[in-house]
Amino acid sequence: MQPREYKLLFTGSMGVGKTTAIAAVSEIAPCSTDVANNDREGHAKATTTAALDYGEVFLENGDRLRLYGTPGQTRFDFMWKILGQGALGVIILVDNSRPDPLADLRDYARAFGDLLAASRAVVGIGRTESHSTPGIDDYHAAMDELGYAAPILSVDVRRRNDVLMLLDILFHQIEAAETTQAVNMELS
Amino acid sequence: MNAQVPVTSRTEAAICHMHIDALTSMQPEITGVLISTIDGFEIASKLLSDLSAAKLAAMTSSLLALSGAMCTETGSGACRDLVIDADTGRVLLMELSCRKQDLVLAVLCTDKVTLGQVLWAVRDCREALSRRLNVL
Repeated sequence: MQPREYKLLFTGSMGVGKTTAIAAVSEIAPCSTDVANNDREGHAKATTTAALDYGEVFLENGDRLRLYGTPGQTRFDFMWKILGQGALGVIILVDNSRPDPLADLRDYARAFGDLLAASRAVVGIGRTESHSTPGIDDYHAAMDELGYAAPILSVDVRRRNDVLMLLDILFHQIEAAETTQAVNMELS
Repeated sequence: MNAQVPVTSRTEAAICHMHIDALTSMQPEITGVLISTIDGFEIASKLLSDLSAAKLAAMTSSLLALSGAMCTETGSGACRDLVIDADTGRVLLMELSCRKQDLVLAVLCTDKVTLGQVLWAVRDCREALSRRLNVL
């Protein structure tokens, strides 16, 4: 079998750790498009992603994961559409320390609704150690209200193993979605 | 998810507007000019009414950031200008270095424009504006 390439997205609000997550697992020097951040009310960090982040992970069977990080701010939502083209799955990162993290989840879930509807998504909640609420059940309830279901777990994207776990779960989601799709095609 | 932050003083914005007016009056084939922060916030613009300065500012930021990444990846040094050649017009994007903060300049032209001539004029405008902002 020919090795496959999987285009996967990391999305979420500004400062949630998309660039960090990709840098934590990428086996090539990641490409970043960070520029100086003037929106210090949005986040105190010095730089922000203006176009994309890019990294790659190679699997033992020769498959390659191409990881794309989106900019967080809605003013860059045209990049979300561009980067979303051809994506096989999405990891939505949420920062539990932000003022309304459930609203953040809803915003990005709606923006990448096609992938969520196709069960090709996983949600990682960060900074839960310092901010225990909302809890995982609250996030599941928010997803239910939107009509979506996805694995939701607490992560620290600075830890390579946490990000690999997100990718592993997403990978299984994609495989399950493709199997279901193939079975449905055979039945129809 | 988004923000509107005041990133420059009124004086700086007025100086930018003055240079935009000078550039567009000198080059009639220039149909629009936008000056924004490097992370995509509009500072001053003169655009046709159907264009969104906020959206163009964000797109300029993305394109120049991506061009910079491409230059780094290919060992081409710092990205100076980006020229987009389209069916009915050209778009020039360039960074504008200032002491306080780096800005970006987007210039929209018709397809009748002579690229060298407009590049020269826009670079002149950039240098003059940079010098003026740096003495504030």
